[in-house]
Amino acid sequence: MLRVFLTAAVAVMVAATAWVFWDRARGSTATPIAGFSAPFVFGRFAVPPDNPLTEEAFALGRHLFYDPILSGNNQVSCATCHMQALAFTDGLAKSPALSGGELEFSSMSLINLLWGQERFFWDGRATSLEAQALMPIQHPDEMDQDLDALITELQASRDYRRMFRKAYGEVSAENVARALSTFMRMLISTDSKYDRFLRGEVRLTAQEEHGRKLFMAHPDTKVSLRGGNCIDCHSQFLTSGFRDALDGFSNNGLDSDDDLPDGLMAVTGNPAHKGFFKVPTLRNIAVTAPYMHDGRFETLEEVMDHYNDGIVVSDTLSPLILEADNAPEAGQNTVGLRMTPGEVQSIIAFLNTLTDEGFLTNTQFSNPFEGDG
Amino acid sequence: MKFKLLAQSVLIGAGLLMVGLTPAQSQTREESQGMVLLRGLPTLDTNHSIAIVELDPESDQFGELLSEVEQPDIQHPLHHLYYSPNGRLYSTGLDPSCSLAEIGLSHDSGGTPVIEGFTCLDTQGQIVGEDIMWATSNGQEYMFVTFMGGTGGDDGGSVGVFDTQTNEVVKIIEARKSQVGEGEPYIMYPHGISAFDDRMVVTSTIHPDMTTGVGNVLTIIDLNTLEPIQNIVVENEKPLDFPSSPVEVLFARPDMHADIEPAILANTMFGFETWKIPYDAGSKTFGEAEVIYSGVANETAVPLEFYGTEDELFISHGLPGVVKRYELAALPELVSSGPDIVADPGAHHMIFFTSASGRDLIAVQNNLLNLGNAADDDPTDVDFIADLNAHTITIHDLETGERIAEVNFKESYNKGVDNVEGLFGSGFVHHH
Repeated sequence: MLRVFLTAAVAVMVAATAWVFWDRARGSTATPIAGFSAPFVFGRFAVPPDNPLTEEAFALGRHLFYDPILSGNNQVSCATCHMQALAFTDGLAKSPALSGGELEFSSMSLINLLWGQERFFWDGRATSLEAQALMPIQHPDEMDQDLDALITELQASRDYRRMFRKAYGEVSAENVARALSTFMRMLISTDSKYDRFLRGEVRLTAQEEHGRKLFMAHPDTKVSLRGGNCIDCHSQFLTSGFRDALDGFSNNGLDSDDDLPDGLMAVTGNPAHKGFFKVPTLRNIAVTAPYMHDGRFETLEEVMDHYNDGIVVSDTLSPLILEADNAPEAGQNTVGLRMTPGEVQSIIAFLNTLTDEGFLTNTQFSNPFEGDG
Repeated sequence: MKFKLLAQSVLIGAGLLMVGLTPAQSQTREESQGMVLLRGLPTLDTNHSIAIVELDPESDQFGELLSEVEQPDIQHPLHHLYYSPNGRLYSTGLDPSCSLAEIGLSHDSGGTPVIEGFTCLDTQGQIVGEDIMWATSNGQEYMFVTFMGGTGGDDGGSVGVFDTQTNEVVKIIEARKSQVGEGEPYIMYPHGISAFDDRMVVTSTIHPDMTTGVGNVLTIIDLNTLEPIQNIVVENEKPLDFPSSPVEVLFARPDMHADIEPAILANTMFGFETWKIPYDAGSKTFGEAEVIYSGVANETAVPLEFYGTEDELFISHGLPGVVKRYELAALPELVSSGPDIVADPGAHHMIFFTSASGRDLIAVQNNLLNLGNAADDDPTDVDFIADLNAHTITIHDLETGERIAEVNFKESYNKGVDNVEGLFGSGFVHHH
């Protein structure tokens, strides 16, 4: 009897050991995101063929996003400057720099990144999410992490070894980038009041509808069409910048030529791109103050005041902004939309319909190290 | 081993490039994909369906159906596709059980467009849905749908007014010829629809059974009251000895091009003509109707659709199967902008898009009604229509009209092709 028991025990141990080795050797076992369905009106999108959207990559990316292990001092995570409740911004004009002072730009919101402009950062210096993902990690004033050191730390973690193995097969910097990109690609906001309006589920109030129409219209006094001109840069459904070429970048009249920052020109070297910055999504814009690349405006009212009569003319100012005027006969010395206060408030009312409370509180996007995540 | 920051970034960037972590440029381009309504052919044992087809001849997937949803339970197919201003996709339908439907579209996790299905809408008894347009009445936007069968009868026909959010019927605009007084405006077998300011126009085409009656008028509807206010006769030559059967209509207007003087253009299916009716927006009156294109004189027949790009107007002629092109800015006069685009018999609907290499293309769907052919022993054959069904979509260079390729749906899928529409984001500027 004892012999039978021992034989059985040895057989079980051999099988278990074999399974462990086989499981570790077989590499990724990633499965496609279950039940994925994106709104058709958002348009086409492209996912790198070698980084498909998978459950395992998303889970790994979510952990990495919230884990301060990604920083050199193990105190800063991606989420430090990208907080879910603030639509993955940080509520600051500019985030604090590790070396003191503040960073060059405001923290960008991370929403619906599957669509729209395929260059990332305010100045477009990253040409893919995968390329973008590693830049803040290595930046000495952001997370100041050495990638070799990071990989060593991640390999020391049994949990991370297991998650990397399931998602991609091995722990590597490339796979850190892939996983973070997958998590960011899955930050999809599709249930704002505006989305539900588009699906025919709710009606907008009269003020919101007025704002929507103004948002979608380029003013044309010849046919008595009043407009807020927003759609010339912010697309109809996504409300982000346009995808093609560099159409998603613009100089929106914040500074004169003397003070104009390089913006996209720093990347392209083209003087015609001086002062161009990425047109951000307006999804959840009500919770992402302060606004603009440098956070100079505290409120949406200040933003609208800028577009209404505060446009600063420079050589590369968007001609679509320069010519958008609802009252050109007024003969004022300012450049702007010259809308009425009621029209401005209507546009702000429409912008408030872009807030997606479900997105801001979705537990799938929350910190997995807290609660039951 | 440590690298300096810059060196690390360069190496990582190179690594990312080597493993291909660049934007997925090889992914499908949606600009060149078409939504098509396919009709099962009775003798070929196929079902009606909605499908997405790749139409770029430069694509490896040219002619392939990328997604398809069949309609095995519906006797007659869906008919015409239209996108709402908010991006919702609708289709009219020929089957009484589904005269109007909303089609669900999405993208899967790989970015591939997917047809999720369709929902038949309550039309309150209106049947044989044809055309759709979105227009405003007293500041409120509605979806207007022409129902060629209306609520039934020998002189039926209605314009359904629908809530754009809920898809519920708000009003049925009906005025039977047999019930209105002598000389009073009526609506009968409406098909084409267009509008400018507070005036809408629908055509009077043909009874859905194609034997009971044929129309020869346009009906003007006051968008303030949603009531018909005027009939305009558009009939001259009768090459088939039928009434003229006005089919598609376009209210040419300044918001299409600043130089356009407002006027209605109407094609007569059996008169083979294009008519012009000038409109004075100040007095809200229509001028005398006149023929501005004669099919008899030009050896074309069955003029059908109006489509526009930013600078041209295109009109399809089912026979011999050509698309004629005109200067948009010259409307309402028809000033040729180039040679005919020679498609196939039944030239009908069209879409515009660019190829992967950036070539501007036009795809023409060539079927009048997509009925079967007697040669196939098909019971749906109708003599004069049988020669108008090529079952193809032909693809042409937009500038030269050169025919580049074709998809023959009968040969490839044992189906006819009833309609083509650009997948969202492509298509047309003006369509009626």
